[in-house]
Amino acid sequence: MIEINQLSYGYKRKHEALKSMDLSVGPGNICGLLGLNGAGKSTILKAIAGLVTPHSGEIKTLGYQPDRRDPAFLREVVIITEEFTLPGFSIGKYLELYSPFYPRFNHAAFQRYLEEFQLTNDQKLTGLSYGQKKKFLLSFGLATDCKLVLLDEPTNGLDIPSKSQFRKVVANAVHEERTLIISTHQIRDMENLIDPIIILDQGKIIFHENMESISQKLAIRRMNDLPKEGVIYHETYLGGYTILTENQSSEHTHMNLEILFNAVVGQKEKIQTVFNQKVNA
Amino acid sequence: MHSYFDISRFWLLMKLELFKSRRGVAMALVIIFGLSFFLGMIVDLAIEPLTTSFDHYENYAFSLLIGGFILSSLAFHGLRNTLTRYQYLMEPVSAFERVLCMWLLSSLGWIFVFTLTFTFYTLFANTVGQLLFSHVKFNAFNPFSDQAFVTMKYYIVCQGVFLAGAAYFRGYVFPKLLILLIAIAFIALIITYSIMHDVMLADYDTGEECNLETMPDVKTVWTGAKFFFWWLLAPISWVLTYLGLKDQEV
Repeated sequence: MIEINQLSYGYKRKHEALKSMDLSVGPGNICGLLGLNGAGKSTILKAIAGLVTPHSGEIKTLGYQPDRRDPAFLREVVIITEEFTLPGFSIGKYLELYSPFYPRFNHAAFQRYLEEFQLTNDQKLTGLSYGQKKKFLLSFGLATDCKLVLLDEPTNGLDIPSKSQFRKVVANAVHEERTLIISTHQIRDMENLIDPIIILDQGKIIFHENMESISQKLAIRRMNDLPKEGVIYHETYLGGYTILTENQSSEHTHMNLEILFNAVVGQKEKIQTVFNQKVNA
Repeated sequence: MHSYFDISRFWLLMKLELFKSRRGVAMALVIIFGLSFFLGMIVDLAIEPLTTSFDHYENYAFSLLIGGFILSSLAFHGLRNTLTRYQYLMEPVSAFERVLCMWLLSSLGWIFVFTLTFTFYTLFANTVGQLLFSHVKFNAFNPFSDQAFVTMKYYIVCQGVFLAGAAYFRGYVFPKLLILLIAIAFIALIITYSIMHDVMLADYDTGEECNLETMPDVKTVWTGAKFFFWWLLAPISWVLTYLGLKDQEV
């Protein structure tokens, strides 16, 4: 679905946001794209959607060269960015004007999503709150039945009930021909939703594993005392430690994504050793 | 489905762009007719009391050109900032379809809508004008007259430049483009003068009114300039518009 080879891109000549990146993503996944601010998460989403032209390297999305913006490609890709503007129409008018561009647009599904998010066709888009606008865009994007949905910080601005609605809608929207890529800082909102996990650091992918592999190789436990050996990463909490170790047993522990992320970013080499993976250094 | 042009997709885009620009066009028409009526007619007749005959061709030419240039400058309004560019660039249409759509709407579409509404406006303006200035003869506006057609021809040629500007500048396209055109004209003037100052300063005393066609050295340049204006300027502008639109990034 997405094949990236040695991709480099920078907004400024001397500073590259993406550095010789390699990535392969297949269909039927909800990929989590994690990283610190400025790691290159939004840039890679833009490159996948064809909104920026790589300086070097190759990128194929759904078999297309995305920056050529072939209409057949564009109708299979939806990107919902963290910040956006919407035109001053009603939801119904937007639907009437934009849905015909997508031949497989599912009107029944769209109405279901609107109901789920408590939106109606007669509401004016510019009159919606930020969270409602996001819900509308997500509803429209998923109803297009496109093969690739790119979401940049989708849960920012959503209230607590909306976050669980979001999780439910997204979990049900993935199918074997569709992939969602979610770039986020809100790791807790994505637990039990995203798989595989892709972590970027300074324009490079430093971690790309599915949850099965992560659970097999790593374990997270809470302990009162910090063990002297075997700890890859630890954080203190009231009265004890949360530790991340190599999983020595066949038992799978609950994977806390925040701990995993901090461990991958903070203890890059130790994690690489565990997974024995080749990372762009 | 064809990558460059698909008639059903093109029609959807036309519908979308027409709907999006409806308020802008309506506002432009109201402003133009307001200015034409009060400044172009009432004030003009009030400060020149000896006028005995009034026609609308000057107002028509000025309004068609300026209004159309401003509208053409807003043709790719979705490119104005990063937030709007996301949605604009992800709409499943080709760059060629966008250029063709906006060219049709802002050139032929504008000429048709403006000329039609201007014709109705002149019926109203002439009636009111006759009541206010009984000594003036108000001539009817004929949209099929030679004067109107010449204005339309000039508009179709020059409009391409503003369409190209809309594909390259982000925001404030019209003033930015005017500044660029003035700068280009100034540079061209300096270059032309430095090359041809001997010819320009020579005394052509033919006893007739000055005519560039009668100056042998200038004739070739003038013919070339006319050919460029009538046959090359618009197509070059359209190609530049397409290239500018094709290579857009967020």
